[in-house]
Amino acid sequence: MSSSATEAEAPDLVCQMDNVQGIVDALTTVRWKRHQDAVLELSEHGVVLIVEETGCLQAKVYLQRELFIRYEYGAQGRPRFGVSLGLLVDCLNTFSVPGRSSMIEMRYPGPDMQLLLKSVDSLDACIYAEIRTRIPDTISWDYNFEPAGSTPLSFTVKSAALKEAIDDLEWPGSSIQIMLQPVPPSVTFRGEGHGDLQIDFMYYANTDLLIAFSCDRQVSYRYKYKFLRATTSNIPSSVIKDNRGSKLTIGRGGMLKVQHLVSVSRQSIPHPHIDSAGYQQPSRIAYIEFFVKPEEDEDTVND
Amino acid sequence: MFCFNKTEFYISRFTSPKPSKFQFPLRSQTRPRGMKFKAYLTENGVNLLEKRFLPALDKMGKICHLYLTRDHTMFLHNLLNGDEVQSIAQFRKEALFDDYRISSQNENRIAFAVDISLLHRAIRSSVSICTEFGSGPTQNRLQIKLVKKLPPNCTQPMPFLTFETKGYKSAVIQDVPISKPLSRDQVLELQTALDMAQDLPQTLVQVQDLNQLQNFVDRLKHVGDLLDVSISKYGDLYVQISTTLITLGAEFRKLLVIGEQSDEPAEDRNLSAQTRSVRAISRGDAQSVQVNVKHFAKSLHCHLAKPDCAFYGIAPQGACLTVIFQFFIAGSRQTDKSISLHCRLPVLDPGSS
Repeated sequence: MSSSATEAEAPDLVCQMDNVQGIVDALTTVRWKRHQDAVLELSEHGVVLIVEETGCLQAKVYLQRELFIRYEYGAQGRPRFGVSLGLLVDCLNTFSVPGRSSMIEMRYPGPDMQLLLKSVDSLDACIYAEIRTRIPDTISWDYNFEPAGSTPLSFTVKSAALKEAIDDLEWPGSSIQIMLQPVPPSVTFRGEGHGDLQIDFMYYANTDLLIAFSCDRQVSYRYKYKFLRATTSNIPSSVIKDNRGSKLTIGRGGMLKVQHLVSVSRQSIPHPHIDSAGYQQPSRIAYIEFFVKPEEDEDTVND
Repeated sequence: MFCFNKTEFYISRFTSPKPSKFQFPLRSQTRPRGMKFKAYLTENGVNLLEKRFLPALDKMGKICHLYLTRDHTMFLHNLLNGDEVQSIAQFRKEALFDDYRISSQNENRIAFAVDISLLHRAIRSSVSICTEFGSGPTQNRLQIKLVKKLPPNCTQPMPFLTFETKGYKSAVIQDVPISKPLSRDQVLELQTALDMAQDLPQTLVQVQDLNQLQNFVDRLKHVGDLLDVSISKYGDLYVQISTTLITLGAEFRKLLVIGEQSDEPAEDRNLSAQTRSVRAISRGDAQSVQVNVKHFAKSLHCHLAKPDCAFYGIAPQGACLTVIFQFFIAGSRQTDKSISLHCRLPVLDPGSS
């Protein structure tokens, strides 16, 4: 970080994107409350946004550098700063003009450590923004996800079906039990409160819904409904339209990892070949991860 | 280029006819004392109102003043209320009406308050009735008349604006309730406010794409309440929201300028939007005011009247933010001087002017 008095320091990051709506969709996926503070972490690999509900739920959005048209990384180490997630999303939304592609440049830091955004697609009209950042005061709780054993305990289910199941499980008003069993290979979601509701996904019966499954022993853990709900409540409609699957993995101690893929399509580059249905180049996907802590072992139903 | 020639709005004085001995004929339908208004809406008038202006004016506010003079018809919002968006829509009578007859003891001016949505509804349903019964020599004509009627369950006759479609075989009558017509003093107050509202800003910049601006401002509403608007003589328009956490704005450059203009100094051209704006203001080449973002968004609904473009300007001494919508004669680039629409937004803070 050496600089002469006459030379301005190169910014930590200057990047350009032409897919604002996709970025907005990806970030909206992790908005489960009106006011959320997020931490952005910049690296040469891309940008990661982290939000959490302390001690219970954490979400990460990975925007890897391939999603950007231009990505110039000049920092030493990995700068981290806090922003309001809602403000960031609402701000990015103003750049997204329906029916038109808009190219945006993002730059950090500004003269006052702000996050700077501006549209760069037109000489005569431009949208600009400066978002104040904070020094993140809590170290992100390292969820330290570890596999449960030598065989992973995981399944991949249609995102639309997952969302619907979790929406339906609101009714019993209890915490939700997720059970995996190898024989017959199936996943069960269960709520017992004002009435019972059980939703089974059988692996062989319907490979349209349950796309993948791995489990060598029966496991079952309970999760607070509102945190489970947060993992699917704002799945963007593009995910449903693209017919994607979400992967759920149960790690050591019952920690649940929920992964979604959100399409962040780039409009500027026309492709010489038509992509086959469902195939998306990796550069067009943002990865979303949620980590949900299980409830303590007791059988008592909370809430 | 503009038609805000004040002389258009002066009304010449008439002497009112002497009242006859039998002033109040015993009929169930009478008109407010001394007042008469009757006119036929032309097809052009119906199109202008039903499809364009009434939908736009409905967004400005539920109630407006309808101000009728010998030569003009005006729809006025909030002229007597300084805290809201004022909107002034003026039509020369020929733009809307045939066979226009007006008389009153107040120099043939009549004004009253009316609910715009009721007006809109009455015209809309009259239109559908008209088209049902065909056109031709006996074509239906839509007559508007000021009357006083005794509504059911009332002891007092009330004023209405009545819409009558008289066809060959049938007639349909719709009564739109209106306020008591304004007194002479009230009309004077209204006319005075109208005269003041005709002040043109010295510099006006043209915005062609109102949709783009509206899209942007609609999203800005989520971020904050106070909108800074700056207009420079170089043809730049800035709209910006600033809160403690965020500054978010848009800059539109090289817009057409009407009125006082000058060239941007070359050294400014590559600076950031905000820096340029600040420097222009410090040189006296730009003005800035702060308005309520919701008011700004509201005034943009005037695009429903389908103007060809809009001009933004800051009134002298930063008194208000003015937006003037321009209408061309269909198929040409000539201003249609028979129609005008402009809004004035109250300024929250003088800013730097």
